[in-house]
Amino acid sequence: MTEAAFSALASLADPSLLIMLAVGVVAGLVIGLIPGLGGTGAVAILLPITFGMDPEPALAMLIGALAVVHTSDTVAAVLLGAPGSASASVTMLDGYSMARQGQAKRALSLAFLSSMAGGLIGAVGLTLAIPLARPLVLSFGSPELFMLTILGVSLAAVLSRGNVVKGLTAGLLGLLLGLVGTSPTTAEERFSFGSLFLSDGISLVAVALGVFGLAEIASRVGQRRVTEKPVELSGGWGSGIREWITHWTHVIRGALIGIWAGVLPGVGATAGTWLAYGQAVATAKDKRKFGKGDPRGIVGPESANNSVEAGDLIPTFLFGIPGGVPSAMLLGMLLTYGIQPGPAIVTDHLDLMYLIVWAFAIASVAGAFLCFLATGSLAKLTKVPFAVLGPGLLVVMLLGAFQEGGQLGDLWVMVALGVAGFFLKATGMPRAPFLIGFVLAIPMERYYYLTASLYDGASWVARPGVLAFAALLVAPVLWSLVKRLRRASGSVDDGHRDEHASADEDADELEGSLARTPWSLGVAVAAVLLFAGALWVSGSFSDEAQLMPRLVALGGLAAAGVLTWQEIRARRRGAARGGDRAVDAPAGSSGATMLATRVEPRLDARALARRHDLMVGARTFAAMAVFLVLVMVGGYLAATLVFTPLFLLYAARTRPRTAIIYTLVLGAVLLALPSLLPVDLPMGLLQ
Amino acid sequence: MTQHVEEEDVATTADEDAGSAQDPPERPAPTPRLAGAVLAGFTALAVGVSVLGGDFLNPAASTADGDYSGETVEMMIPLAEGGGTDTWARFVGAELTEAVPGSPGLAPVNDDGGEGILGTNHFMTSAKTDGTEVLVSTASTVVPYLLDMPSVRYDFNKLRPILANGTGAVVYARTGAGVRGVEDLVNRDKPLIFGGIAATSLDLTTMLAFDLLSADIDATFGFEGRGPVNLALQRGEVDIDYQTTSSYEPAVEPLVKDGTAVPLFSLGQVDEDGEIVRDPNFPDLPTVVEVYEKLHGEQPDAEALETYRAILALTYTYQKALWVPEETPDEAVELLRSTADEMGADPAFQKSAAEVLGGYPLDASPDLAERIGEAYRVDESVREDVLELLETDYDITID
Repeated sequence: MTEAAFSALASLADPSLLIMLAVGVVAGLVIGLIPGLGGTGAVAILLPITFGMDPEPALAMLIGALAVVHTSDTVAAVLLGAPGSASASVTMLDGYSMARQGQAKRALSLAFLSSMAGGLIGAVGLTLAIPLARPLVLSFGSPELFMLTILGVSLAAVLSRGNVVKGLTAGLLGLLLGLVGTSPTTAEERFSFGSLFLSDGISLVAVALGVFGLAEIASRVGQRRVTEKPVELSGGWGSGIREWITHWTHVIRGALIGIWAGVLPGVGATAGTWLAYGQAVATAKDKRKFGKGDPRGIVGPESANNSVEAGDLIPTFLFGIPGGVPSAMLLGMLLTYGIQPGPAIVTDHLDLMYLIVWAFAIASVAGAFLCFLATGSLAKLTKVPFAVLGPGLLVVMLLGAFQEGGQLGDLWVMVALGVAGFFLKATGMPRAPFLIGFVLAIPMERYYYLTASLYDGASWVARPGVLAFAALLVAPVLWSLVKRLRRASGSVDDGHRDEHASADEDADELEGSLARTPWSLGVAVAAVLLFAGALWVSGSFSDEAQLMPRLVALGGLAAAGVLTWQEIRARRRGAARGGDRAVDAPAGSSGATMLATRVEPRLDARALARRHDLMVGARTFAAMAVFLVLVMVGGYLAATLVFTPLFLLYAARTRPRTAIIYTLVLGAVLLALPSLLPVDLPMGLLQ
Repeated sequence: MTQHVEEEDVATTADEDAGSAQDPPERPAPTPRLAGAVLAGFTALAVGVSVLGGDFLNPAASTADGDYSGETVEMMIPLAEGGGTDTWARFVGAELTEAVPGSPGLAPVNDDGGEGILGTNHFMTSAKTDGTEVLVSTASTVVPYLLDMPSVRYDFNKLRPILANGTGAVVYARTGAGVRGVEDLVNRDKPLIFGGIAATSLDLTTMLAFDLLSADIDATFGFEGRGPVNLALQRGEVDIDYQTTSSYEPAVEPLVKDGTAVPLFSLGQVDEDGEIVRDPNFPDLPTVVEVYEKLHGEQPDAEALETYRAILALTYTYQKALWVPEETPDEAVELLRSTADEMGADPAFQKSAAEVLGGYPLDASPDLAERIGEAYRVDESVREDVLELLETDYDITID
């Protein structure tokens, strides 16, 4: 085996192979930067080039691209709050907060270094896991995979910032959205209301970029100047590396979880990154900073997110079951060379397997290194006001979302989800569980259904894997209950924690700014109505198809009901307090009056800021709708040419010269893009 | 531009906590005249781009002259990147366009809406009829067409085939479930559990085979693909499964060798005379018809056999095909077809394409249109049989 490993390494010294690898790495990095294209885009652009090549250079190129796509897709998530994939949304939690505190450079260097280590460990893991993969995959039946999906959604709901009820409600809303489309078990259409477009389900990229990306544009476009003070990092790269090294245990743990999760077909990639985040939070002594820019929240998931790619190659090659579109295309490429995936690949094509391992390792290092070198200039992006970035970002994100299905409807869905994301964000509902719920809804239903119909009664519950996952799920809840009980016997720790939290939250003006207002009550009530509606509609499905929607809707009704009750109670309490003040003030009770006069102006300023945010959001979403109408009429390029100068002149108030140059550059990029990347521009009626 | 913005920001970044409510004085809105001029300029450009640009960049194709030079063939693949059909289409498409006189470019377009239905509908209504747009068909678009699902707005009788390529499949079972041979398919105490994706997918043909044999099968649908079913069989979650020819060797053969699984029969192939014959890739495995004779000692019911034969031809023997719109000029269709025919006969192509074609020839002979047309003209009685099976056995109604 070692002989094959070294001969594969020696063959990589061949300059032509190295060039192919470099081409792949560069293409992967560039495509990863554009939110929404991701690995699929990278492989799709490179695949046609590989026809007619020998398998070795072709593989080197494709693996090079796959290994680094998740390195550079961090950039949009961290700097712009626009994750193009479900796994990038995890890095976003802490990375974006850190960037908003002016530490974009620090966040990026931590992420890139972790990606590199994750890729390297992933490559090593790939080698070691080959003999273990078969028993591992075979020991994971439908019940275990079902528990894994539950674990993924619950971890996201519990660990995201905000209270658990809000997290659960968001996760269940995501699950409900994920159920739109054709049922995996009976092939009947659910919640599609007769539309063939909806019967396909909603596109992941549209959800990720809508709920996060567009909501971010809408909430920040009002700012015409940058308000964050960039924090100067002294010591440059050296200090970045030094800080990263202090978190080395998290890097290794994240990478190991990533490999393990990537090996499991179907659910691994998404759940894996969350498991990595979950273990980082669970094992940390001081959890207060998570979600607000904790380096450990970046390091673990980011390292997992690259090693998942390596782990994913194991089921792809050994069982012919790809974990995603990119690995499916890789599989197709191997097939055209007459290389059949299957257990025999390890004996028949060992040299190729090692070539893949080495190419993966080299590409991870090279890709992360290139990104690391560029952090300084990338971080400068945060100095450009969002109002100016807005139209360009909008055009790029919508184009990215269009690529998945080639449907204009996806873009409308994306804008609608942007509005939803805006309100979720403003009312302090975590959006990450929403996205994870959306991604895992169908696998969860599939594996639940298979478990229920392939196992007798509840015998599956006693399987060791299921019990282990259940323990993972329940243990943290019990632990926190125990801690709370102990603390209840008189400790000030809790109050201390709250103080910290509220001080930090001011970093983001919109996040949670509408909490405890009629708006947040409205969101809770809307959630109740949605779940109730879903419950009602699901009554018309066949027995098998209505099981999951019903469970989700009932769970959602409970969670959203509790949330509504919390909101009402909070409002009552607030109203009662306000009433007290009103009564107290005339009486001249000194303390209360002091408090009242001090509080009122602050409330006014906050209410004003809130109204301003809402106005800006409404206007921005209206502008997006206008843009889509323009696209429908005149096509993408024409719409961009009209929309961009309009937005820049009136909304961003840039100089006319800037607007003209900006628009011309954007137009030229759009014109050139289809011939450079596998990108289609939406066509209008006039075209 | 970025440079300019930065300078300004460094200068004006003030320590403000109250947010945008109290912005420092900002640049006033541009004068209406200036803004109007800028907008008018871009609008004119936009109109120019959208109206003129299209014609300017895409001149009309000339493909009826026996030469495709300078053209680009757009290939509509109505499924996602990376699947078996996508791989097949990209490979065959690339080889074909290279062989066509003038070596046109190839632009594969993946439109995976509605499991292939949306893309095919779209092709039907908007494809150019000059021979530069080609459609890929496969089981996922053929079965809904066969079942006449309401969302299907395409008609293969209104398209012209260029080439076709078939595949086959083998049904195998887990020895751990007490299956030693085909005799164990019937008269069982406990039905065999079959793992499937959906009854309205390629699984349909296998379901028809089980129905024909009156095998004791309990089908559970909902799997993600055939690979996961194969794994579930190895775990013992399901008892019986089928794999198509290309995945049989890597996925099933090792199991047969170590005794965990036993191959039972092949679905067979429909030959040029319309008879069900043994699969050339599995000459040692009996067909469904032979198994029936062995189990029941007589020929299967003629009507049921006809239904099975029609569906087998449609979903396996002519499973994948390339099509052009009906109005495409004869010269262009003939040029593409004859090129494909020569290519299919070329030993070098046969060798490089062996894996992708799955051991079945690339069929582009002159009578292809006739044979494929016959296979795709599904009798109403066949359709009714299938719909009845779906409704009675699997509780699926198609309206």
